[in-house]
Amino acid sequence: MGDGRSVRVTRREFLREGVAALSGMALAGLGVDALRSTAHAQELTYPVERGASLRVLRWSQFVSTDRPIFEENARRFTQRTGVPVRVEYETWTDVQPKAAAAANVGSGPDIVIGFFDEPHLWADKLVPVTDLAEYLGRKYGGWFEVCPQYGYSPPRRAWIAVPIGAPGAAINYRMSWVREAGFDPDPAKFPKTTDEFLRLCRALRARGHPTGFALGKAVGDGNVWTHWCLWAFGGRAVAPDNKTITINSPETANALEYARALYETMIPGVAGWLDPHNNRAFLAGEISLTNNGISIYFAAKNDFPEIAADMNHAFFPVGPVGRPTELHLFSQAYIFNYTRYPNAAKEFLRWIMEETQYSRWINGMLGYVSHPLRAYNNLAVWRSDPKALPFRDAVARMLPHSYAGRPGPEAARALAEFVIVDMFADACTGRRSVRDAIRAAEDRLRRIYRS
Amino acid sequence: MTVRGALTQIATFYVPLGGFLVFLLFPFYWMLVTALKPNRDLYNLAQNPLWTWTPTFDHFRKLLYDTHFLPWLRNTLVIAVGATVLSLAVSLVAAYAIGRLRFRGSGLLGVAIFLSYLVPPVILFIPLSRIVSALGLWDRPAALVLTYPTFLVPFCVWLMMGYFRSIPQELEDCARVDGASRWQAMRHVTFPLALPGILSCLIFAFTLSWNEYLYALVFLSSTDQKTVPVGLATELVTGDVFQWGPLMAGALLGSVPVAVAYSFFVEHYVAGLTGALKE
Amino acid sequence: MLAEHRDVLGWVMVGPALLILGGFLAYPFVLGIWLSLTDTRIASPGRFVGLENFRYVLGDSVFRLTVLNTLLYAGVAVVLKFVLGLGLALLVNREFRGKRFVRAAMLLPWIVPTSLSALVFYWIYDSQFSVLTWALRTVGLVSGYVNYLGDPILARAALIAANVWRGVPFFAIGLLAGLQTIPRELYEAAEMDGAGAWARFRWITWPLLVPLAVVVVVFSTIMTVGDFQLIWIVTKGGPANATHLFGTLAYQRAIQGGFLGEGAAVAVFTLPVLLVCVAFAYRALRRED
Repeated sequence: MGDGRSVRVTRREFLREGVAALSGMALAGLGVDALRSTAHAQELTYPVERGASLRVLRWSQFVSTDRPIFEENARRFTQRTGVPVRVEYETWTDVQPKAAAAANVGSGPDIVIGFFDEPHLWADKLVPVTDLAEYLGRKYGGWFEVCPQYGYSPPRRAWIAVPIGAPGAAINYRMSWVREAGFDPDPAKFPKTTDEFLRLCRALRARGHPTGFALGKAVGDGNVWTHWCLWAFGGRAVAPDNKTITINSPETANALEYARALYETMIPGVAGWLDPHNNRAFLAGEISLTNNGISIYFAAKNDFPEIAADMNHAFFPVGPVGRPTELHLFSQAYIFNYTRYPNAAKEFLRWIMEETQYSRWINGMLGYVSHPLRAYNNLAVWRSDPKALPFRDAVARMLPHSYAGRPGPEAARALAEFVIVDMFADACTGRRSVRDAIRAAEDRLRRIYRS
Repeated sequence: MTVRGALTQIATFYVPLGGFLVFLLFPFYWMLVTALKPNRDLYNLAQNPLWTWTPTFDHFRKLLYDTHFLPWLRNTLVIAVGATVLSLAVSLVAAYAIGRLRFRGSGLLGVAIFLSYLVPPVILFIPLSRIVSALGLWDRPAALVLTYPTFLVPFCVWLMMGYFRSIPQELEDCARVDGASRWQAMRHVTFPLALPGILSCLIFAFTLSWNEYLYALVFLSSTDQKTVPVGLATELVTGDVFQWGPLMAGALLGSVPVAVAYSFFVEHYVAGLTGALKE
Repeated sequence: MLAEHRDVLGWVMVGPALLILGGFLAYPFVLGIWLSLTDTRIASPGRFVGLENFRYVLGDSVFRLTVLNTLLYAGVAVVLKFVLGLGLALLVNREFRGKRFVRAAMLLPWIVPTSLSALVFYWIYDSQFSVLTWALRTVGLVSGYVNYLGDPILARAALIAANVWRGVPFFAIGLLAGLQTIPRELYEAAEMDGAGAWARFRWITWPLLVPLAVVVVVFSTIMTVGDFQLIWIVTKGGPANATHLFGTLAYQRAIQGGFLGEGAAVAVFTLPVLLVCVAFAYRALRRED
C-alpha cells in the first residue's frame, strides 16, 4: 500500500505520459471534477495476452438498465483489445457458492464480482491487483476509507480485489406522513440524530403509520440497519486486533435499548421479514418508513406514481458517537489465479472502472449502485434526481461489516450466521433480555473468532 | 342408487376428495391469479387476493419474450429425460439382481446403496465439482445427467427390489421351464408385472431431476444452458425485488405441462394387471 | 448350474449402478467424511483434526437446536404425509369420472420446482399479505395479522405444512401403485365372508402394503431430514434459528461462512439421526407384519 512498491507500468506508457495528461484534462471536462489528480495521470494499460478471452461472473442486475450498459462496456472492450468477454449472471446470493466451487476446483470464471469479504475467503487463490488499485485511487481522487479495508489482504500484503461500488441504502420515508407527524419532510431537515429519529418514529406510529425494519434473516436490509444501530451507539463486535470480542459493553446495551424502543413503532411481523418484505409493505402503504436501497423508489415510479411523488430518502441518523456509522452492500471484483489471462483480466477491470465506462454504468443504474472513488461524486446521476442524492455518499459513510476488526473468514462467517441480526431480534422481540442477547452473541462470536 | 347410498358416497368419497383437491390445488389457483394480476394490484392489500377483474398477459409475455424461458424449458427437459432413462436402466437391472438373484453380498449391497443418501448435496457439491471438472463436463448438461442418478438410483433400486420380491418366483420359473432365457423371462414376465413400480420410478426420477437446483446452479453457467428453476431465480429475482407475476407464470408453465404428460402414464396404473397373476 | 452363474451375473447386473454410485457418490461421500475430520476452509486445504469439529458442533447451541428442529420437523411431516397420502391413495384407487384428471392434478405440488413453490408459500405466509389471513379474517376467525414466519412455533408449523403439501403426492402415488397390485379377488372373497371395510383394510390391504410403505416412508424421511430449498427460501433457518435443519445449517457454515470442515461435520451428523429415524420407521411398520 504505497510502501515503495513499484507500480507495474509498461515502458510504452512512460513515454505516453505527456499525452495521457492532456487527455486526462479533456476527460475532466466530461464532468468528473478536478479532484482527479493530474500530476500522476499516466494511463496504465496491461499487455493483453494473445488469444485471450474472459469469463466474468457477476450478480444479476438490480435494475433493468444495468445489464445492457455493462455488456455494452464489455463489447467496447472487445473492440478495443480483441478479447471476447462472456458475462454470466447469478442471483446475488448465489454468486458465492459458484465462486466457492470454482475456487475449489481450480477452474471457472476468470473474474468474479462478489460481495463483502468473499475474496478473503480464498485470498491465496487470487491475482494481486495492487498496482491497478493504486492507479485507480490516484487517478480518481482516492478510494473512500472503507475500500482498502475490503480490497487489501494483510496476510498477502497486497490488494486482492478492486472495489466496484456498493448498492447503497437510506431511510425511505413518506413525506406527507412525516409532515403530519410534525416534522419537516425535506431530506436536509430530516432527523439527523438517533434521538430525533426515534421521536419521529414514535410520532408516526401514534398517527397510525408504523415503521418497519427487517429482523428476520434479511441478508441486505436486516444486516444494514442492525449494524448501523450497533455502531451508532459505540458498540462493536470485535476489536481491531481481530481477536478480542468487544460486543459485551454498555454501548451495545444502549444500542439494543434503542432498537427496542424503535421496535415499538414497528408493524407486527418484522421478525420474519426477509429482504423483499419491507418493499412490499412500503408500497402497500402499510409502513411509513424503512431502510432500503433505491429499489422501492424505482418500483414506485413504475407502478405507484403517487407513492413515488410522496416518498423521499435521507441519511441514516448519527448516534452518540457523533459520526456516520452505516453499512452498505459492498461489491468488489477479483481475479482467480487459475486464469490463463491475468493481464487481460486486469485490463478489463481497469477498463470498466475508467471514467467513460464507469460513468455510463453508474449513471445508467439511476442510483442503485454508489461509487467507491471520490472523483465520481460528481456523476450526473447524483445531480439528476434530488431524491437519489443520499445514495451518493453510501461508500463514503460506511464502515466495514467486520468493524472494528478486519474483513476475512471470521467476519464472513459472523455475517452469514446473522449473529448481530439475531441479537437485535432476540432483544427486540423479548425472546431474550438485553443482557442475555448480548451474552449469546458474544458466545457465538467467541467461537467464530477463536481460530 | 338409493338416496342413502348417494349420500354415503358423497360423504365418504366426494367430500374427502374435494378436500384433498382444494388443499393440493389451491396454491396453483393462487399462482394463476398472481400471474394474471397487474403489478399495481399485487401490492394492494385492499384488493381481493383471490380474483382479479383486470387480468393481464404482461407477465406471461415478459416471461416468454424477455427471459430465456423456452431454452431453459428445453434444457430441463433434455436433462430430466436423460437422467431418468439412465437411472431407470441402471436401477432396474441392479434391483433385479439384488431382489431376485440373491447372490452373495446382495444383502449388504442393498443396505450400502441406502447409505448413499446420507451426505446431502449441500456438502457433496464441492467434491462433486472436482469430479465434474476433471471429467471435462463443466457447463455441460451431461454433468447433470451423470450426477442426478446419485440421488435417483438408490430409491429406484429399493422400490423395484420391493416389487420384484413381491412377484412370485413361480411365474418366471414357469416361463423358463417353457424354454425362455432368463433375459426373456425378465422382459416378458417380470417387468410387465412390475409396471406400476416402474412407472412410479419414472415419475419420481423425472420429477426430482426437473426440480433440482443446487447442482444445476453450480455445474452450469451460461444463460441459455440453465434449467428452469435456476434461470427463473437468476433473471426474475433482482436484488430485493421479486418479479412475482413472471415468476408465478414460470412456475405454472414449468409444471402444468409435466402433470399433463404424467396423466397419460398414470393410466397404466391399472388393476388389470391382476389378471396376469391368475395365470 | 444356475447357482454358479448367479453370483457372477448378479455382480455384472449391479455393475453399472455401482459404477455411477461409486464414482459420483461413494467418492464424494468418503471425501465428505474426511472433510468433517479436518479444518478445511473453502479454498484452503486443512489439516486432520480428528473429532474436533464434532466436539465444537456439539457444544454449539444453534446446532443442538437444529437437531431438535430436524427431529420435530421430520417426525411430524412424515407422519402427516403418510396418513394423508394413504388416505388419498385409498380414495383414488377406484374407477370414477375424472379419474385421470384427479390423478394427474394431485401430482402438481410435487412436480412444481421447490424453488418456486417455496416462493408461493413465502407469500402465502406473509404477515401482511397472506391470503390465509385474509380468508381467516373474512370468516371471522382472526382479527389483525398472523405472524406466521416471525414466531418460532408458527414458523415451524408453517414450514411443516408446506412440506406436507409438497410431499403428499409422493406418498399417494407410491402407495397407489402398491394398492393397485393387490388382487381384487382377495377383496371379493373377504366381502363374501362378511368382512367390513375396516376389516378388509386391516387384514388385506395393510399387510400387502407394508413392504412398499416401508420403502416410501424411509425415503421420505431421508428427503425430509435433508430438506434445504424450502427452508432456505422461506426463512433461511430463522426466526431465531428455529427452522434450521442440518442441510441449511451445513450450507450456512460451509459455503457462506467458508468453514467447509465444520459444515461437513454438521452434515455427517445426519447419519446417526437418520439411522434412528429409519430404524424407528422400519420397526413401526414391521410390527404390523
